[in-house]
Amino acid sequence: MSWFMGIDIGSAYAKGVILKDFEPVASHITISGANYRATADAIRAELIRRAGLSWNDIGNTVAAGSGADNVYFASRKASDIVCTARGINHVFPQARTAIDVGSQSARAIRLDEDGTVTNFAISEKCAAGSGRFVEVIANVLRVDLNDFGSLAARSRNPITFSTGCAVFGESEAITRICEGVPKEDIAAGVNEALAGKIYSLVKKVKPEEPCAICGGGALNTALVAAIERTLGTSLLVPPHPQLVTALGAAIIGVASGSGKD
Amino acid sequence: MRQSVSGNPPAGALYFAGIDIGSTMTKVVLTDEHSNLLAVVKGPTGPEHRRLANEVMRQALEHAGLSIGDISYIVATGYGRLNVPFADRQITELSCHARGVSSLFPKVRTAIDIGGQDAKCMRIANGRLVDFVMNDRCAAGTGRFLEVTAATLGIKLEDMGAMSLRATRRIKISSMCTIFAQQEVVALLSQGEQPENVLAGLHDALASRVAALARRLGIEPDVVLTGGVAKNIGMVKAMRQSLGVEVLVPEEPLITGALGAAILAKEAYARAAAAGETLPAKSRRLEEATFFSQEQP
Repeated sequence: MSWFMGIDIGSAYAKGVILKDFEPVASHITISGANYRATADAIRAELIRRAGLSWNDIGNTVAAGSGADNVYFASRKASDIVCTARGINHVFPQARTAIDVGSQSARAIRLDEDGTVTNFAISEKCAAGSGRFVEVIANVLRVDLNDFGSLAARSRNPITFSTGCAVFGESEAITRICEGVPKEDIAAGVNEALAGKIYSLVKKVKPEEPCAICGGGALNTALVAAIERTLGTSLLVPPHPQLVTALGAAIIGVASGSGKD
Repeated sequence: MRQSVSGNPPAGALYFAGIDIGSTMTKVVLTDEHSNLLAVVKGPTGPEHRRLANEVMRQALEHAGLSIGDISYIVATGYGRLNVPFADRQITELSCHARGVSSLFPKVRTAIDIGGQDAKCMRIANGRLVDFVMNDRCAAGTGRFLEVTAATLGIKLEDMGAMSLRATRRIKISSMCTIFAQQEVVALLSQGEQPENVLAGLHDALASRVAALARRLGIEPDVVLTGGVAKNIGMVKAMRQSLGVEVLVPEEPLITGALGAAILAKEAYARAAAAGETLPAKSRRLEEATFFSQEQP
């Protein structure tokens, strides 16, 4: 049994990867929904189907994310931080700092050449410090999240939010819309605001270059550019930034061998 | 401008007005020279402060049987205070709240005002503001926290407090942020938790945050709670619990700012009169309360 599964159930999206000899052979991303247990089952079924395997072929499953406890069939759980570091190290072995922008939290991680975590900081108390701020404003602007980055990139005059709160920020965005401010300026403004919060978070771990970014927030290209500007460095972006933590979970499974009885 | 419907006011009588333009509600208080209330009018603050200020003032004058020219001095307060064209002076809401609360509760030392957009804790000595702390940065420490979560529960804001008192147990809300709490409420309800129990937890969460703010100032009795949130009986109870002291609430907790503004108007007028200054005899007029303020002549 040389196939290994990593499942990362986040607050917004659930992600899964199957590895064979450290190489991904299947991946899947779906909405986490209200029933994480059912979501875990669905991810497992879809991953196996895509890889053309059966459940018995999977040597080991490692679960991560806020919904990790619901992956009842996992061999073990692993910390999100450790998984993200492993995943980033696999894609970018040179990276010494990883930034993970999720829906409910943002994390800054320092890692060594083996992908071992040496320091980290988490922002999870405030929606304005996570990808949720962007989701809230995207909803006000009636913009699909997938289009948010390209919309914001068109802005020539980003607004400055007067508040550091996503709830007050939502009201402020509505006021700006009423004033006729173009959507792209509001979208760019929220990216700037979130980039500022992420900057403060990253500073806490004494970042070292090269820096990589992952999580759903890394799909927002204008946010990535805003973070690059505030940090004064360019960021490495993996081809599938949402899958990094699930990938890391699967790698931990490989490393711990076939633990399934 | 609509004229007053009643006869002329007694010659020589003095009248004062306070207008408080808050983020959610605009309040006007008219008093005589003894600070007796002649009219209290509230209206929702819309995007057009200026028009609403005129409209609420017109209603208050009509109620008191006065015209705008009969008012000796007008003080505007609240975050929209600069948008009141007929005011003689602007004074911060902190000073006005402190003055209004201490006129109703002479022994007050700590005043806590929880509005729709901020929370303020004021230290009062001899009827004056001496120190304050406020939160206008995070919705989770303001009335907005209850507004947002009430909407998630599908409950009217005014029903929340009484409903929370029917809780059989108080669920602890672990999220700090309003947006994450909203999501936590949805999850709790989907697990079959009773809305009353969730509500009790939401009240506790807000009360503990406001109490933490107040503790930065030090809590000295008497403690008075004002603002829209003070109308919520569940919050009054939760604040008593969190602060560990009795919490007094005025009969009309929304108008302390406007009341304080009217009292400060009277005092400013009296000072000027005692100094022999003649106040600029303003030929005040209210603007027509049409929807489109740009149509004003």
